[in-house]
Amino acid sequence: MNIMYTIIYLIAAFLAITGFHIQSEKYLRSMVLGLAIQSSMIALISFIFGIILDSYTFIILGILVIFLRVILVTYFLINKIPRSLSYVYESKVSTTYMLILDFIFIIISIFIVYSISFIHIVTITYPVKNILLFPLLLFFQGLFLIASRKRTIAQVLGYVEEENSLIILGVFLLPVPIIIESSVFLDVLILVVIFSVISIEKNVHEKMEELRG
Amino acid sequence: MLELIVETLSQYLFVVFVSPLFIGIFERLKANVESRHGSSIFQPYYDLFKLLKKETLITENSSKMFIIAPYAAFGVYSLIALIIPVFMSKPIIFTASGDFFAGAILFSLAAFIKIAGTMDSGSNFSSMGVSRLLSFNFFSEGALITVFFAVALITGTDNPYATNNYLISHPLSNLSLVHLFAIFAFFMIFLYETGKIPTQSEGKQEMGMIDSGIDYEYSGKLLGINKWSSYMKQYLLGSVLLNVFLIPWGITNTFPGFLLNIPVMVLKWLFLIFIVLIIDTSMAKLRLFKVIDYLAVAFIFSILFLILTEVIS
Amino acid sequence: MIIIPLIILIIPLIASIFYKNIKNSSAIGAIIEIFMLIPLYLLNPYRGFFYIDTVTFIFVLMVSSIYLLSVLYSRKYVRDIKNRGISENMYYLLMNFFYVAMEFALMVNNYGFMWVGIETTTISSALLLITEKSDTSLEATWRYIIIVSAGVTFAFISVILIYYSFGTLTVTTILAEKISNTLTVRLAVGIALVGFGTKVGIFPVHTWLPDAHSEGPAPVSAMFSGVLLPTALYVLYRIYEIFPMRMIFVWAGTVSVLFAAIFLSYQHNYKRMFAYSTMENMNIALIGMGTGTEIGLIGSLLLLLSHSFGKAGAFYTAGDILHISGTKEINAISGFIENKRISASLLLSSFAVTGTPPYGTFFGEFLILYSVLSIHFYAQFIIIVFSLFIAFVSINLNVSRMIFRGKYEYNKSSGSIISLISGIISIATGIIFLVVINAIL
Repeated sequence: MNIMYTIIYLIAAFLAITGFHIQSEKYLRSMVLGLAIQSSMIALISFIFGIILDSYTFIILGILVIFLRVILVTYFLINKIPRSLSYVYESKVSTTYMLILDFIFIIISIFIVYSISFIHIVTITYPVKNILLFPLLLFFQGLFLIASRKRTIAQVLGYVEEENSLIILGVFLLPVPIIIESSVFLDVLILVVIFSVISIEKNVHEKMEELRG
Repeated sequence: MLELIVETLSQYLFVVFVSPLFIGIFERLKANVESRHGSSIFQPYYDLFKLLKKETLITENSSKMFIIAPYAAFGVYSLIALIIPVFMSKPIIFTASGDFFAGAILFSLAAFIKIAGTMDSGSNFSSMGVSRLLSFNFFSEGALITVFFAVALITGTDNPYATNNYLISHPLSNLSLVHLFAIFAFFMIFLYETGKIPTQSEGKQEMGMIDSGIDYEYSGKLLGINKWSSYMKQYLLGSVLLNVFLIPWGITNTFPGFLLNIPVMVLKWLFLIFIVLIIDTSMAKLRLFKVIDYLAVAFIFSILFLILTEVIS
Repeated sequence: MIIIPLIILIIPLIASIFYKNIKNSSAIGAIIEIFMLIPLYLLNPYRGFFYIDTVTFIFVLMVSSIYLLSVLYSRKYVRDIKNRGISENMYYLLMNFFYVAMEFALMVNNYGFMWVGIETTTISSALLLITEKSDTSLEATWRYIIIVSAGVTFAFISVILIYYSFGTLTVTTILAEKISNTLTVRLAVGIALVGFGTKVGIFPVHTWLPDAHSEGPAPVSAMFSGVLLPTALYVLYRIYEIFPMRMIFVWAGTVSVLFAAIFLSYQHNYKRMFAYSTMENMNIALIGMGTGTEIGLIGSLLLLLSHSFGKAGAFYTAGDILHISGTKEINAISGFIENKRISASLLLSSFAVTGTPPYGTFFGEFLILYSVLSIHFYAQFIIIVFSLFIAFVSINLNVSRMIFRGKYEYNKSSGSIISLISGIISIATGIIFLVVINAIL
């Protein structure tokens, strides 16, 4: 049983690595695939919990993640990236700066948010205390992705990453009613639909003179 | 006391005289993988002999620094060889003169001495290599030091010998998140520092030249010494990676039994060479400006979980 | 009697079935919604799947009224838009969904479903903003979606933590619990302040607010400012009730009011100016709720009720002015005194939103300031009064420049009567409040 928890811990740590990968990637298609890997890791964690705790809720959650996040969202986003260069590739991204800034941002946020408050929360499903670091890490990475990138699709990915972090937070903390979890999924889906409507018209977001002040 | 002297001498001599052998083995295996016949595994020794016998040419503009630098760097690497567990895992003479951080800083010192000597020649190629080296080094040095911090925080000491013993007696620590990612980061740094394929390739092409730029103006004996110290550097870094991070087990410390360490170290090195060989023959070289990204990744790996799991919680 | 709230939620959906004729069916549905308020009032208080008390009722009243006004105002406004981003029928369909989502978030007796409702309002209202399609409105829509979604997602952590502490999400059960002063609960309330605060317009997460309000069509801006933000505030208030964190809420509101006042002082676009005024009013209402006193709550409700009509009137008038003049710049507009109806409704509504005496907003602000003093928050009191002064001067100065300065050089088309009605209702709330309070005293 103990080894299972160690495996979960390691997978949770790799979630943060996928976050860094998505952040530093220039090719939008690889970003989408990175997110698919991240989602499948979450599904894997959910399945392992389902086996350990003998709870069908987690299994359903895992299936939902696989179906909606890994397959549907990825398929949708990949097919929505048009072939022209301006959609495929974001040139003004320096991997080094992105990594270092992301690192500084999340460390400061985690330090403020986690060490003040979350550190005192005792998780129910998972026995090791500092596991809540990883969902929070992912959350702030999603936030930073939204803030640092200019492409519509990159910002959507940041949002999906945030939703991923919420699911994993819920999984680690306690079994949240499945109905609310599933509404999170629907949100993502609808957001992706709206994104597709907007991205046809507008795929880069720069500062605008009309929207100042 | 006599035992101690013998142990000290054997560690030092092993480092100095066996380190070229691993380069030879690596080159030979690489040639075999690439379907070439390849040179003998003792080729580095032949090279050293040849260079040491040759005449040394010194540029007109250079000062004494140009001549002293190779010897000084060799001396610094010799000192590192005595304070890091690269052969024995119990303290020997001179061990007390430094810890992990001293080791990391001495590596930097040696690099600085080499750079200072090279800059003294006034050659364009050399200064280009130096400027490249320096613009990348601020990440690699930082990552190297954080890697050592990571180990120090797990084990509660920055003495490399105590760390080694701790890791042997607490096998589960080898699986902690910090340790795993520190290994990964240190391995990336190892590839960079020893000039292996994702960051730089062998040869004197101007495009990818980083380390070769340092040796560009040296010839004869001085070049031989420079090469020898870079072999030592590779051996030292690789042995730290093996003995402290990857495989801390297998070192004997009893008096006559310590001679067993010779085959053990060779076996460990064959393992490392095998991994490096796979990477070296299967990956392409990164563009020069991508090297900084590579080092940034190593830096993030080394520091992220250190801060997260050891400092914050 | 679960049936009454259900009917309220279902009527706009039924109206949406007549998609070909949705323009008329929505208007009829909106009128029926107003009549449904009477059984809802008689139902109060009700605890079941829905949770209706007086506070809820006032918010529902607000939402249905502004919805009716907006649907009526849209009939002419949306027809006249040249380059529509979405079709006219689609506009009404989304408007109905938007309305249902708000009502759902207000009435439901479960924090999780409240969160779902708030999130649904974002999704359903996003495309409404590109009714008048331009590059700027697309950008504003996108900022609205991404910032608000990110913020509301953060609020989901709060929902998880509430469930973690109480083992349930039912509002009435949780509010009945006595033990609530644990770290987790405090954390949940604090996170909700940031998360739902994004939608309420708390500094520094307010940045989507002026963009969305200035680029959306007038009836949608009115809905946003008049009822969407109060709905988010209602949810925030329900979470605040679990564990009142006075200090943090009042300070958050105070700082936001101060910054809103500073932003107001240099606006050159009248729709953005009204948007910042919304931010200011919402945060004053937040302060009133945050004081945790009954007088503060009454003041907030009065302020929100009066403000929603006043601000709706202001945005309707702004829509008319934009239609006539074709510009959003304050400096490019002059001499609207010639156009009697528009200038009257503009003046009425701008006085309403700045809290001039006979209006409900004035009494609301008065009660809130009183409650701030009553819990001895003197520093906050001074900052709020100072900010209110700046806001009052900036808005009314700009409005009077639009009306009284220069020559009128546009066509003579008079604006919609609805903006005038909206402004008059706002003034009426204040007078009714005075009558009621005198009768009680």
